[in-house]
Amino acid sequence: MKRWQRILLYLAVAYVVLLLGPIAGFDLPRIVGAIAQSPEVLIQQLLVGLINGAIIAIIALGYTLVYGIIELINFAHGDLYMLGAFASLTVINLFGLEDGASLATAIVPMLLALVIAGLFCGGLNLLTERYAYRPLRNSSRLAPLISAIGVSFIFQNLGLFWGGLKSFIPGMGNNAAAPKTFPDLLPRTDLLQALGIQTSVAFTVKDLVVLVVAAVLMVGLHLFVQYTRPGKAMRATAQNPMAARIMGINVDQIIALTFVLGGILAGSAGLLVALYNNTVVFTMGFTAGLRAFTAAVLGGIGNIIGAMLGGVLIGVLSALSDQYLSSRWTNAWVFAVLVIILAFRPGGLLGENVQEKV
Amino acid sequence: MAERALKVLRLSIALGLIAALTVLVFGGWSSSVIGWLLGAGAGLMACQRQSIPSPKVGARLGLEAGLVLGGWILLALVLQGLVLRPAAGQPALALPQLLQYALLAPVITTVAATVTGAVQGLKQYRQIATWILLALILLIFPWIDQIARTNWIATVIQIQIFVMLALGLNIVVGYAGLLDLGYAAFFAIGAYTTGFLSSPQINLQWNFWIVIWIAAAVAALAGVILGAPTLRLRGDYLAIVTLGFGEIVPVLFRNLTDIQIYEPISKILGSILGRPEMAICLVGCDKPFNLTGGEAGINPIGRPYLPIVGTFQSSNYLPWYYLILLLVVFAVFMIGRLRNSRLGRAWTAIREDELAASAMGINLVKTKLLAFAMGATFSGFAGSFYAAYISAIFPSVFDFSVSVIILCMVILGGLGNMTGVILGGIIIMGADRLYLPQLALVLKGVLSTSVLPNVANPALKDFLATSVDPIQMRLLLFGLTLVVMMIVRPEGLVPDAMRQAELHSPEPDSVPVVEDPAVEARS
Repeated sequence: MKRWQRILLYLAVAYVVLLLGPIAGFDLPRIVGAIAQSPEVLIQQLLVGLINGAIIAIIALGYTLVYGIIELINFAHGDLYMLGAFASLTVINLFGLEDGASLATAIVPMLLALVIAGLFCGGLNLLTERYAYRPLRNSSRLAPLISAIGVSFIFQNLGLFWGGLKSFIPGMGNNAAAPKTFPDLLPRTDLLQALGIQTSVAFTVKDLVVLVVAAVLMVGLHLFVQYTRPGKAMRATAQNPMAARIMGINVDQIIALTFVLGGILAGSAGLLVALYNNTVVFTMGFTAGLRAFTAAVLGGIGNIIGAMLGGVLIGVLSALSDQYLSSRWTNAWVFAVLVIILAFRPGGLLGENVQEKV
Repeated sequence: MAERALKVLRLSIALGLIAALTVLVFGGWSSSVIGWLLGAGAGLMACQRQSIPSPKVGARLGLEAGLVLGGWILLALVLQGLVLRPAAGQPALALPQLLQYALLAPVITTVAATVTGAVQGLKQYRQIATWILLALILLIFPWIDQIARTNWIATVIQIQIFVMLALGLNIVVGYAGLLDLGYAAFFAIGAYTTGFLSSPQINLQWNFWIVIWIAAAVAALAGVILGAPTLRLRGDYLAIVTLGFGEIVPVLFRNLTDIQIYEPISKILGSILGRPEMAICLVGCDKPFNLTGGEAGINPIGRPYLPIVGTFQSSNYLPWYYLILLLVVFAVFMIGRLRNSRLGRAWTAIREDELAASAMGINLVKTKLLAFAMGATFSGFAGSFYAAYISAIFPSVFDFSVSVIILCMVILGGLGNMTGVILGGIIIMGADRLYLPQLALVLKGVLSTSVLPNVANPALKDFLATSVDPIQMRLLLFGLTLVVMMIVRPEGLVPDAMRQAELHSPEPDSVPVVEDPAVEARS
């Protein structure tokens, strides 16, 4: 294509977007007007996006870890995170905590919930790997993928079942499928106001806790993978399993470790989301999993930094879309952006363009 | 002799279990219908993979299989009539009635098995005679269903819709090897196209017989549109893009309820100059235009009309049954021809090795786009039929789980094999729509009359009453089936010969190709 043809094509595409965009909320004059009127809303939305993105990034790390090492899209990961949320709800319920319990009484149960949800999901993921994925390691690419979809269904049903346990766990409510309320435990004290900054942007302790925990998890994982012996073994296995085996790395163990790590991250994310949104429902795994998966692919699946970047990007994108485009179109916009980015960079943002092997 | 008896017994285990389960769950006349259907199947299976010298030998093989199957049915009948019914709070079957069922069902089973077995001995006419027999069974099924009052026909129509979808997806995934996780989108597009063109929604009420072709064409076009940006992507990235497309399409249909389009340049100018009236309105000026009806969907959608039959009614299943049967047969025929055409071979080549295929002069772009388009076409037909049949459509019918269920049919049955895919569709949809609801009913009866009165612990009682419900365990059963199936038989129930060779080739290790040239040189 000649240059002027290309420019003409881009202009035409831009015109069509401007023409049809308003149907899906992309109304440029209105958006510009709204931002000009109250820039603080923009900052607030960016903040919300950052926090949601951090949570998405934690889940996305689970996808990316597993993909990086055995090239499997672990469809069950989103539902594992949902089960993590249920596990933490159960722990909190066993302590009999209610809305607005003081931080002093809530801190131990919350830490315990973090540990238990992490261990639970890690263990579950380990079992899944052992019985649903490992027997399929030598079969075609499709077989483990389908198996993962099957596990995802099983997990979803487990969540539904768990939600119906009202006779044993008080917080599970009457309807198994209905959303469950998670007690509001984190204080909503506004930090900015406490610091004396006069602004309508709200940044509460709750936001801070989620952000800090997410950051700690991500940095911790990064350090683990970069500098510890098992982390190095993981990277070696991801690069070339056979060479890793020759070098004396127990590949099966490393893969199991990867699944445990992914599970711990999913469990923690489950607790964080439950604390942040105060509701838990058995279908939440699917949507979140989809977003996280999108984030992982966006960043270049298999790339840890990419997953974090992709997560934050998706979070910010959907928060902005919720505010300025239209919340009912957000899912469509997220995927549209994904398709566009992949059309130009088929390996994701940070993923390398893998040359086809002959 | 004992060896042969053992073989017959082993053969009949799967069919016998299905038959017994059916009779246990449905009871009554269903024994004769399922005996008829499975008896024919047993006769066919008994003579598979061997040459039958004469119809007599075939008939004897069929007779044996039929007798064993009849035994299963008899056993199940007695159990259902004398044990299960009282346990579920219904009166036990009276002896004359039980005798009636018990005499008829095994006889029908045996006769059906003998006839299909005999047909297998017809040497050069074997294949054509089997086809004729199958056609006969399919043609008279609704009548038998009516006589026996089993009321399976509505479900059978649904099964056929999904078989059609699975056949279409099989082109994309099975033949061309492109993993498509958003296939329900094409189903939705076919259905909504029909909805737009033959409903009062936008005041177009075209004839269904024209609309169904348009719907298929629109779906095919959508397949090309989806295919275009994905051409450069590798397997897993392709999966996510198709998944994304599958998520976008229902969002579109859910939300295209108030469309107002302004010419953008005039609008931006107008807002800069502070004169909003400058914007030129193109669509939906006085009132936003409602295209899809949102969550409520489009209702009613026009139904097909034929001179003798009249307008197809929802109460009368017969014309619908024959219409979808015709469509499925058409699809099977077309796909069979496609498979053996130049295009079909090109698809296989791409599936096996893309790089080699393109080196051999296959146009990758064209071939892949055609795979998407062809796959979408058949789901367009299915969607169009579905819309007319239900006479209404809602966006919630077309979500991710539908795509996955269709994918599972393809993989469970046998990727790339049409018989397998059809079987996969029948099994999954049959279990889901026919057996589970009825099983739930029976279990509920058993629980409330026999089990619950004996449970003392109130918490446990409460839990059992609400949680033991096969409908609620649907996902669990489905997921377990997938996982177990993948581990036991990753190539599906009826594997494609070529696929099976591929999956069972002795591979030294799962490790990918060695990349380092130095290592390569040393080895």
